[in-house]
Amino acid sequence: MRRYEATREILNAISDELVVCNIGHPSQEIFQLKDRPENFYMFGSMGLSSSIGLGVAMAQDRKVIALDGDGSVTMNMGTLATIGLVRPKNYMLIIIDNKAYGSTGFQRSFTADNLRLEEVATASGVENVVVITEHDEIESTIARLLKADGPHVVVVKCEPGMPDGIGVIPIDGMEVRNRFMDAAKSGA
Amino acid sequence: MSTQTAVNSNSPAGKLYECVRNHGIDFFVSVPCSLLGEVIEILEVDKDVTYTPVTREEEGIGILAGAYLAGRRPAIVMQNSGYGNIVNAICSLTNYYNIPIVMLVSHRGSAGERIEAQVPMGDAVKGVMEASGVKCVSVEHPAELDRVDEGIDWALKNEKSIAFLLPFSFWKDDDNYVPEHR
Repeated sequence: MRRYEATREILNAISDELVVCNIGHPSQEIFQLKDRPENFYMFGSMGLSSSIGLGVAMAQDRKVIALDGDGSVTMNMGTLATIGLVRPKNYMLIIIDNKAYGSTGFQRSFTADNLRLEEVATASGVENVVVITEHDEIESTIARLLKADGPHVVVVKCEPGMPDGIGVIPIDGMEVRNRFMDAAKSGA
Repeated sequence: MSTQTAVNSNSPAGKLYECVRNHGIDFFVSVPCSLLGEVIEILEVDKDVTYTPVTREEEGIGILAGAYLAGRRPAIVMQNSGYGNIVNAICSLTNYYNIPIVMLVSHRGSAGERIEAQVPMGDAVKGVMEASGVKCVSVEHPAELDRVDEGIDWALKNEKSIAFLLPFSFWKDDDNYVPEHR
């Protein structure tokens, strides 16, 4: 299982949640699999998906999912400390851990060796930390967790690599922003 | 230190906070600085705003961007050295998506600084802000808080970020202050 297959299962589990999508290939895959106004695609600021999602969650009551990667969370590991401090009930951080920096050419990342982000999340004060390794457990696990109060940190372990034919996102930043802001407002 | 600290509306910190809140700024993050102690104490007790400390300024910009996307009016409270930690987030997140961030920035390395190592970033910060597309306004005394009023109006109207640099002279609140801009 690669990130693409894991992402497809995750997206099957969501309904009206606001979703912050990590920069690069992850956003491109999500756009291709299930574009919707509730998706905020990052075109820059690597590392900040979990933080943007945390801000959206703290600012309003609707459920928020930050879809992030192991390399990005490692770049901004303080985010786990802040999530463990604030603990918003409406927040889920999903870390797709493919042990690589995929968007920059699949260089080996820190989780390929000693780093265990799920342990950092637990040590930061997040009580609901779940690790998923099996493809056929992703959709049901995420759907179940979304029914319960968070915060949740979910680590989905997968392999590096991505399918051919994933293209750049054809809408620009202001359109991404404006339709997300409208969607966030309309659900409030 | 007491957690029951009342807001002293006559102190520089109290006047600054009241001015910012009058513009509907309702979502804050902070990274500590000795000059910002009273502002952070106010944030910790004000139930009318959303607030969290953050581990690093860059993380704070991400959180504030999310807050704006969800309809709030965000601000960061930090030292000028923290600006060095956020330049990429400012350029590729908040500038790119037109997300206005109000920055209340204590200006270490300004006149009165006793720690030599604070001076290089203190000297560089205005240029780094301007080069990264953030309007920078020095407020050297609480009597100049009209600059904060005008600046926040401008930032929210144009969806651009703005930084207010607050040097030692601002926090001293010297009655004999004579405006003298460098």
